[in-house]
Amino acid sequence: MSGLTHPPRPTAVPRPVDPGKALRFHWSLSQAGNRFRRSEPTEELSGRLPFEAQLELCQCADEHGIDSLLMAIGSTCPDPILLSTCLGLKTRRVKFMVACRPGLISPAAFVQQINTLALFVGGRVHINLVGGHTPHELQYYGDWLPRAERYARLDEFLTACRALWEADGQEVNLAGRYYQITGGRLPTPFSMNGVRRPEIFLEGNSEESAALAIRHADCLWRFAEPPASLADKIAPVIQTGTEVGLLVSLIARPTRDEAVQAGCHLIGQFGEKARAIQRSFERHTDAAAFELTYLARQSLTPWATRTLWTGAVPVLGAPAIALLGSAEEVAGALLEYKEIGVTQFLFTGWPDLDEMTFFGREVLPRVRERENAELKR
Amino acid sequence: MTAPLRFHWRLIQGGDLQGAIAPERLSSAVALPEMAAQIAFCREAEQSGIDSALVDISSAKPDPMVLGMALAASTERLKFMVAHRPGLMSPALFAQQVNTFSTLASGRITLNMVAGYSPAEQLTYGDNAAHDTRYERMKEYLTICDRFWSAEEPVNFSGQHYRIQDGRLRTPFVAPDRSAPEIYVGGGSANAREAASALADCWLRFADTPENVAPQAAAMRLSGTEVGLRLSCIVRPTRREAIAATRGLLDAPAIQRRQGSEASFVKASDAESMRSTYDLGEQEWLTPHLWAGAVQTLGATTIALVGTPDEVVDEIYRFKEAGISQFILHGWPKWEEMRIFCRDVLPLVRQREQMDERGSPPGAELAAVSSQTNGEHGSRRPES
Repeated sequence: MSGLTHPPRPTAVPRPVDPGKALRFHWSLSQAGNRFRRSEPTEELSGRLPFEAQLELCQCADEHGIDSLLMAIGSTCPDPILLSTCLGLKTRRVKFMVACRPGLISPAAFVQQINTLALFVGGRVHINLVGGHTPHELQYYGDWLPRAERYARLDEFLTACRALWEADGQEVNLAGRYYQITGGRLPTPFSMNGVRRPEIFLEGNSEESAALAIRHADCLWRFAEPPASLADKIAPVIQTGTEVGLLVSLIARPTRDEAVQAGCHLIGQFGEKARAIQRSFERHTDAAAFELTYLARQSLTPWATRTLWTGAVPVLGAPAIALLGSAEEVAGALLEYKEIGVTQFLFTGWPDLDEMTFFGREVLPRVRERENAELKR
Repeated sequence: MTAPLRFHWRLIQGGDLQGAIAPERLSSAVALPEMAAQIAFCREAEQSGIDSALVDISSAKPDPMVLGMALAASTERLKFMVAHRPGLMSPALFAQQVNTFSTLASGRITLNMVAGYSPAEQLTYGDNAAHDTRYERMKEYLTICDRFWSAEEPVNFSGQHYRIQDGRLRTPFVAPDRSAPEIYVGGGSANAREAASALADCWLRFADTPENVAPQAAAMRLSGTEVGLRLSCIVRPTRREAIAATRGLLDAPAIQRRQGSEASFVKASDAESMRSTYDLGEQEWLTPHLWAGAVQTLGATTIALVGTPDEVVDEIYRFKEAGISQFILHGWPKWEEMRIFCRDVLPLVRQREQMDERGSPPGAELAAVSSQTNGEHGSRRPES
């Protein structure tokens, strides 16, 4: 056996030097291979997604400076941890933001799976805590907890996970209402280079989500709204040192006219059927973020600002609020958000691959240029 | 026509290649994957006729589902027998993980369901269910998984441990030849056997003599469930060398250090079979070719087939006659022993199976072999 070569130890996780200085951009993997996925009814969705298309999007992200890919969780998607394992082995830089629903797995089992994944992909793992959007779907998984208690459980779940990640070899004991750990010890580490845990993202527009993010998360995801109305809402979070990121779609084109045309073309492809599906989802969801966006959608104009467009929300749902405009305009809009303290963005596009390529070539260099100019000032 | 015997091998784990016979239970080496070495091991296994690699489970090791997935991504034929303890995640989430694995690796996943054997270890996961309850829960868990796999959606289930309403998964199990994974259930108690006969394709148990495993195996096979054995293997060209290898193992410092540790581990376990197998270790030899000398230091899976290739084939055949159709093996040195088995033992097993297939009367194998070697049937001699 002496001739065997042992695998190289995972390389250092490239962490931002100062998260306040450079905006970070993430992308959702969920539509790879099917750009109309969000307009289809759940009952008709296939969960067998084309691996080659997913890999292509990951490799594109690898090339274009995208920080991570959001790996969704739910009854219509492949398991995010296992899919990240396979995609991670074939990429080099991009990270995987693995979604997790706390009610479905023991914190220790989750941490062990995340750590194992992280060791295989050189620590390129974030986690994204989601509450689950419809109680109906949570019951597929046997999760019957009322929404009011889900925050308390999420709080305990993150307390337990962090204790296991930050234990430094000490035993973890926790006697909670939802989770108990006695003599917990997981010797499989998150990384070999001293990074103890993944970055934690948490999704939600409610006050409870903000409070939880402040306690446990590195970054709180919110749905997009105009900087003017957002600033006051996120200030308390940012003051505590927790970052705030926006979930927003992207329709950037060389000129504003082309972007507007692309937006119109996008909604033109969906008929009454798509609207009906969104209305039905709206009735079944109990997530505050969605309710808020549906209210916003009732307003008369689809332009929340000159670059924030809600025109696709009726057919594609809340995540379709989009930054729309020329590369210059979109870069400007991103920096306006940066001024009020937003530091990360999670994008979706139609189709993702083209949007990401355009973003990487045309928008991102403009953002970095302005950020650098800002620094020199 | 009987199906050929199937042989699985326990995946080497971190630290296994540093020459250690048994790494300490909580050593840091065990906790880390050895990706390159594990891939090389799996590739050799699949080229040598091993059916699947057992990826075992413990809070001290990497997660077997994720580890198996990573290794499946680098292999082509080998299956991964992923160990899993029900109770730590939702059955629907588990079915979805298994299905995702199957989609990404052409169905090359089988499941080794274990109810857990250490109450202390279960507590680290927040699981305080008692032994019998864990089997009741496993039955509910596998029933739910089975409904998702048999596509009887929506799945509705209301039990003591799980309540599922209108469950639907859009991620099916995908394999060339199956619509659900093959399921192994391990454990020696009546509860374990009941769960296996109701819900598994194969019941896994620790070894004992062929004579002693036969009655339970016969009962299990009547219910349509196969029976598999966890066994070790020490095969050498001569019997003298094989026995010397067992001596070398017992003299190793690692074994000396494990004295007492295994005893207290078994004492703290609530698995019946772990205790009864520990007691078997009082005698060093269970049969002339079945060695139990390491059981009280290295654990219940170390009952070993010991001898020359011919002797070991004969012993495997005695187990076959006792109703055993699958074997999960490992040995010492951990990699080399698989190489020896696949090179020296497996072809003999296959040869004998082909002769059986042609209807040689029992007991006539040796005569048949010698007549085939240089007689008129030489052209029908199976390729090895």
